[in-house]
Amino acid sequence: MIKTKDLGKTVSTSEGQLTILKGIDLEIKKSESVAIVGASGSGKTTLLSLLAGLDTPTAGQIFLGDYEITALDEEERARVRSELVGFVFQSFQLLASLSAIENVMLPSELRGDTGAEAKARELLERVELGHRTNHYPRQLSGGEQQRVAIARAFASSVDILFADEPTGNLDTTTGQHIIDLIFELNKEFGTTLVLVTHDQRLADRCDRTIHIASGEIINPEPAPAVVQGIVEGSAI
Amino acid sequence: MNVLGLALKLLWRDWRAGELTLLLASLVIAVGTVTSVTLFVDRLQQALVAESATFLAADRVIRSGDPIDPEIVRHAESMGLQTSETLGFASMVFSEDRAQFSSVKAVDGDYPLRGRLIAGDEPFVRGYPVESGPAPGELWIESRLFPSLDVQPGDLIDVGVASFPVTKVLIKEPDRGGGFSNAGPRVLMNIADVPATEVVQPGSRLSYRYLFAGDWDTLEEFSDWAASRIGPEARMFGVKEGTEGIGEALDRGERFLLLGSLLGVVLAGVAIALAAQRYSLRHYDHVAIMKTLGATPQRVDLIFIAIFVILGTVSTILGALIGLGMQAGVAEILSPYIPIELPAPTMKPVLLGLVTGFICLLSFALPPLLKLRSIEPVRVIRRDLGDPGVSGSLTYGFAVAGTLGLMWWYSQDLYLTLMIFSGAVVSLVILFSIAFLMLRSGRVVGMQAGSAWRLALAGMQRRGRENTLQILVFGLAIMLLLILYLVRTALITEWHAQIPEDAPNHFAINISPEDVAPIRELLGENGVESQPLYPMIRGRITTVNGELASERDKRIGERGEDAPRSSSGRNLTWSEILPDDNQIVDGEWWPENYSGPPLVSLERDLAYRNQLEVGDELVFTVQGIEIPTRIANIRSVAWDNMQPNFYIIFAPGSLEEFPSTFMTSFYLSKDRKLFLNELLREYPTMTVIEIDALIEQVQRIIDQVTLAIELVLVLIIASGGLVLLASIQASMDERMKQHAILRTLGAGRKLVLGSLLIEFCALGLFAGILATIGSEITVFMLETEIFELEYTVNPQLWVLGPVVGIILIGAAGILATRRVVETPPASVLRELA
Repeated sequence: MIKTKDLGKTVSTSEGQLTILKGIDLEIKKSESVAIVGASGSGKTTLLSLLAGLDTPTAGQIFLGDYEITALDEEERARVRSELVGFVFQSFQLLASLSAIENVMLPSELRGDTGAEAKARELLERVELGHRTNHYPRQLSGGEQQRVAIARAFASSVDILFADEPTGNLDTTTGQHIIDLIFELNKEFGTTLVLVTHDQRLADRCDRTIHIASGEIINPEPAPAVVQGIVEGSAI
Repeated sequence: MNVLGLALKLLWRDWRAGELTLLLASLVIAVGTVTSVTLFVDRLQQALVAESATFLAADRVIRSGDPIDPEIVRHAESMGLQTSETLGFASMVFSEDRAQFSSVKAVDGDYPLRGRLIAGDEPFVRGYPVESGPAPGELWIESRLFPSLDVQPGDLIDVGVASFPVTKVLIKEPDRGGGFSNAGPRVLMNIADVPATEVVQPGSRLSYRYLFAGDWDTLEEFSDWAASRIGPEARMFGVKEGTEGIGEALDRGERFLLLGSLLGVVLAGVAIALAAQRYSLRHYDHVAIMKTLGATPQRVDLIFIAIFVILGTVSTILGALIGLGMQAGVAEILSPYIPIELPAPTMKPVLLGLVTGFICLLSFALPPLLKLRSIEPVRVIRRDLGDPGVSGSLTYGFAVAGTLGLMWWYSQDLYLTLMIFSGAVVSLVILFSIAFLMLRSGRVVGMQAGSAWRLALAGMQRRGRENTLQILVFGLAIMLLLILYLVRTALITEWHAQIPEDAPNHFAINISPEDVAPIRELLGENGVESQPLYPMIRGRITTVNGELASERDKRIGERGEDAPRSSSGRNLTWSEILPDDNQIVDGEWWPENYSGPPLVSLERDLAYRNQLEVGDELVFTVQGIEIPTRIANIRSVAWDNMQPNFYIIFAPGSLEEFPSTFMTSFYLSKDRKLFLNELLREYPTMTVIEIDALIEQVQRIIDQVTLAIELVLVLIIASGGLVLLASIQASMDERMKQHAILRTLGAGRKLVLGSLLIEFCALGLFAGILATIGSEITVFMLETEIFELEYTVNPQLWVLGPVVGIILIGAAGILATRRVVETPPASVLRELA
């Protein structure tokens, strides 16, 4: 579902070139859940934004579904996002001027889908916010805002969900609740899940963890083909 | 969902959340102000021109010493213009036992085309308006003639060989101007009776006036057609060229109103730009999220362009309606004070307001909105990404093109537009540098001051770029207001100085040399102040540097319809000293007691239009005798000053031998009008031209133009206030956030309010200083180049500018931000998160 080849990101600073990511090769399969972990400043959030097509790399290639997004311009990348990708952010990123239901409806509206409202209502029910559909973000608690964001992420029936520290702004209990919700919905919708986190409990619930330090993957996992070969070989 | 539907939805949601209030208010008020100013100016201009047309009793006049080709009048009628004909001449009129030299005017039944005749049934009353002049076989005479002829209404008066009964008293006629054919008290008769009087003989000095009235475009078309068909002696003119004192006042008044509208447009543009900038800024995250959710840049463009169009349509229509209501309200409130009836508003200014609104939007609001397409979606993760920083040149390009285009469109004057615009650009660059330096110096002072000061000034410098811009915007708004105020004051002072309360309102001519001393004495005895008595001799230029003047006139050809010709007969005078209000523009005035070869001084217009220069040899013919002279100097003449003015003045020593008459001017108040009878009885050969009615009318018009100017000033001040508010609002979020954090950290109400007050007052002070510098420069250019006024430094401005800046910005700033100390910091932070 997601594949990168020798991915790198360098930025210019007043002190010269700064390498944020280099030589990233990874592959994430459909319906797999992967946690990207690492210390602050290790480059994990940058990796997430590159994988999601929110930012452009300075080296390498990224394949998302059938698209090589590194070969697309912003216009085309936006279309790919609209078709394939949903997001959950640490700071929720709800639009303050829209009510809960309007926030959930927004992706469908942008795609021009019909029945946006009914679907949004259903999803809000699903995240147990059916009674707060007309509330504005400022009238909701952090946990509630994140649940709205989760409902929004699943509103457009996407294939991949990217989550950036989804529990980072929440207390332990609420965080746990949000984790449960993400995994339940992920399973229900068969979505591929890529999340960036500091939270070990969250990482542990994923199928696999990728550790990043100083812009590089430090536990390069065996290439999936090799893994598959070993599995197949042992079976033989 | 289609783009329009989505845009409408987003717009509605923004409106509900209060995000649109400021932008919409700026747009509506901007369009409203521009529309109402334009409408009001249009109505006032129409009214003023119409009112001024009463000076001529028509919109256009052809004046000629001989009858013009009747085809011209027929053509005017066929074009749908109203026409009328009058004939003026001077004649003695006789009662049973007295005679009086009078100025007779014969009119037809259509006279006057503009304005009204006021008549009475007995002398010295206020009278009542009448539709037309005397019927055939009747005479109307003015009040003063009753005692001087010793007649009563109904008595017979002889004009030439015919006798007519006096049926009414003429109290006022609209086109009672100066001029020699108007000398002496007025007798009004019907033009059909003129042949019976037999006064019109070959060689009689007559003044035919053909009056035309109708709509502007037809008049213009007719004027173009007729220009080449009227003879060389005839002159065609409208209100502006035809009436002394009025043309200039109207021209300057119109220019001021125009300037006012222009500045109104610029202010409106700035307000819109600021509001749109804020709207755009507050949508950065919005757009980043939308892009994350799959909105393409093209879709973002389409959505915001649709929002722009909807917003533009709603606000311009709303603005135009408000403008319409506002000007109707203002006109209604002011109707008791506006002595003229305003014509109904036309659709043109409403259309102008709508188009202006849209161009303002396009130039000032679209660029910040278009910026949104460049917002990077990764902003949702990395908030530190600042302004997209693109399309700087696009933004300014739009604004510059829009402003220039609008200014040019409004003024129809590229020179005025470029002058104001380039002045503003140069000022902006200089002022930006000064503002930046002031901010730095503020920091140095602030570091040594108390904590509220330190907080305020440190804050100001931290947002250095934004604050420099804000000072510029504040400065610009205050500067524009100061400019309008200064120009208005200069104009009004100039007008009032031009025609002071006691300006001479009577000209006395045909004074014989032996009467000069006794008349001077009589005037003095009666406490009547008069100008010097100037000798006056009729003569004309016959050759210029050896070439026949009439040939030369033909050779030089077209010089504008009101250009004085060198070969025309003129009143000549001589003088040892340069008359008051005349200024030498070339050459030198002759010394006192000059006794050399004959020299002449020429009026500037006469000299330049006829390509005459200092040193040219002119030969004059005076009473059949040729006088060779040389041009010693060229001088400007204040034609509006209601004093004896001459195109040609000789040095002493050439004209004294010729028999001449003298002239002077003096001031006589209304209640002493009968003194004229005494004066004329004593010196029956002299002629008095009364221009008191004319001066009164000029003053009335000037008062109206003044009022119009002040009204426009008030409207512009309102839109200036809007700019200030928009500018403060645009920087609100950042300030609110900073002070909410300070409050969270325990800063007291006093400290927060104190630092805000200091910050805004300091911004106000800097803006005031900038405004003062900018307005001095611009006013200097405007007054000297556009309004042709004398420039004087305005010392009061250097106090007024900064004080106005501090008070305005300080008060508006505190009013707008006081919420920060009244709302719990958490709410502020959450709202701005």
